[in-house]
Amino acid sequence: MDFNSIETTGLTKVYSSSFGKRKVAALTGLDLTVSAGTIFGFLGPNGAGKTTLIKLLLGITFPTSGSARILGEDISGYKIKSRIGYLPENHKYPPYLTGGEVLDFFGKLSGMEGDLLKKKIDELLELVNLSQWKKTKVKNYSKGMMQRLGLAQALLNDPELIFLDEPTDGVDPIGRKDIRDILTELKSRSKTIFLNSHLLSEVELITDRVGILNRGKLIREGTVKELTQKNEEYKLNLEGSNVDSFIKQYQGIFQISKLNDGYCNLKVSDANELNNILDKLRGDGIMVKEIVQQKNSLEEIFISLISESEKGGLK
Amino acid sequence: MKNIITVTWYSLREALARKVFIFFFVISILTIIFVGLILYLTGIEKMFAPGMQPDVFTAVNSLEMMFVSPITLICLLLSIFSSASFIPIMLEKGNIDLLLSKPISREQLLLGKFFGGILVVFLNIAFLILGVWLIFSLKFSIWNFEFLLTIFTITFIFSILYSIIVLFGIITKSSTLGMMIAYLLFLIVSPALYTAKYTLSVLIQSSFIKGLIDFAYYILPKTSELMGKINYDLASGHGITNYQPILTSLLFLVLTLGITVAIFRKKDF
Repeated sequence: MDFNSIETTGLTKVYSSSFGKRKVAALTGLDLTVSAGTIFGFLGPNGAGKTTLIKLLLGITFPTSGSARILGEDISGYKIKSRIGYLPENHKYPPYLTGGEVLDFFGKLSGMEGDLLKKKIDELLELVNLSQWKKTKVKNYSKGMMQRLGLAQALLNDPELIFLDEPTDGVDPIGRKDIRDILTELKSRSKTIFLNSHLLSEVELITDRVGILNRGKLIREGTVKELTQKNEEYKLNLEGSNVDSFIKQYQGIFQISKLNDGYCNLKVSDANELNNILDKLRGDGIMVKEIVQQKNSLEEIFISLISESEKGGLK
Repeated sequence: MKNIITVTWYSLREALARKVFIFFFVISILTIIFVGLILYLTGIEKMFAPGMQPDVFTAVNSLEMMFVSPITLICLLLSIFSSASFIPIMLEKGNIDLLLSKPISREQLLLGKFFGGILVVFLNIAFLILGVWLIFSLKFSIWNFEFLLTIFTITFIFSILYSIIVLFGIITKSSTLGMMIAYLLFLIVSPALYTAKYTLSVLIQSSFIKGLIDFAYYILPKTSELMGKINYDLASGHGITNYQPILTSLLFLVLTLGITVAIFRKKDF
């Protein structure tokens, strides 16, 4: 895929109070692109502006300035939404409708009808394990069931681009795994998924790229690998009789420290320094059995970036 | 158009899920049964003296209106109360987001909701009036089809009041203000302006006050006249003698809806 499903340029949203006295910038000058066929994770603390971005892209709210395109079209039109699926956070369905009727209603609004819609409803209810609840009124659904129904609703029109706002909220671990599997399967069918989530461990597992937002500003964007790797830190597994003496000898010269079970930690300034050390190790008859580049968890990076941003360190 | 029909149909479902509309339906059934019992058990036809045949039509018509008017008034008041929350519920977070994420324009969504509210009242009123009319017609063999036109006048009155509820529902995301204004207009302002213009105007000396009354009378809908004189004239076969109250009320309805659509199109959710 070589085109972008989402493109925003200087997208800004400022909310004003009723009399315009108080203004809150929910999103400030956002430049973002999301490639087609990828899963993009959008992270940020509460009130960072994540949901505002989705609402702007879907025409639920209007930008103060800047522009945005989804699937190559300007966001001002409504017909493009026939190619989009959306699961909002805290979605509400008419309580007097059954699960099947909810899907029928939203399917019809998405332009579907007849046998095609009926077949799709059955397929999706099966996919999210709600087939046996098809004729039960949604007021009797649990939170997890509502989320699964929401996901089915978002997939009704076989969308090319899917926005999911906290899709695993209230879902048990098995249900979360099912949802992850569905998302992975959708990606394999070249769907683009834009995922807002607080569950960083899940985002880490399935996303291709991640954007971190704080106070309406994008403070970091990249692949999960780019964000989490510690560029100059390695864990080495060494074997040899003189490992200890080597570490003692070079401790003052390189940033090397002994760990347990034959492992040591090494911090270098660049790849050249790493290669020099490897040469010296081999020169001393030490076997390098394993080299692992050290990673932070996404959660650690997230917390560190947000703290830095709060202190004004990131712009 | 398909989108409007879908939203209208599901608004009807929403209305039927509410107990007030079931109550409305039950009142209609009870009224029809009550009318039937009175007509068939009490021998009410004996009140028409022999030789009064030409006036039976008027008498039957008066009886029909006597039964239907208070019931439709109650049903209208109930309908306002029940439909007032349609828009605020639609605008709730998690609901409006989903609706606006679908390929449906905001105008279609709003009109679908509007027509849904009107359709449910139309069906209820039609059921009540048709039932009463059928019983009278069968009893007296007088088939006064004009009486059925009251279905449309009462629905028209409701649609005017509902447009106010929808407008204030969109602005405030609450049902309270719209409902209060609709009741105020229907029960107080419209009858008061009608009385002021046609009965009290001879007592008013100030041309400024007279102008003010005229202004308010012409710009506001004339629900009082629609419910009273126009409804009665139509039902009794006299036709419409003065179109002004209908046309100015229709203009008010169109303007209110137009303003509502314009506000809704620009509103952030």
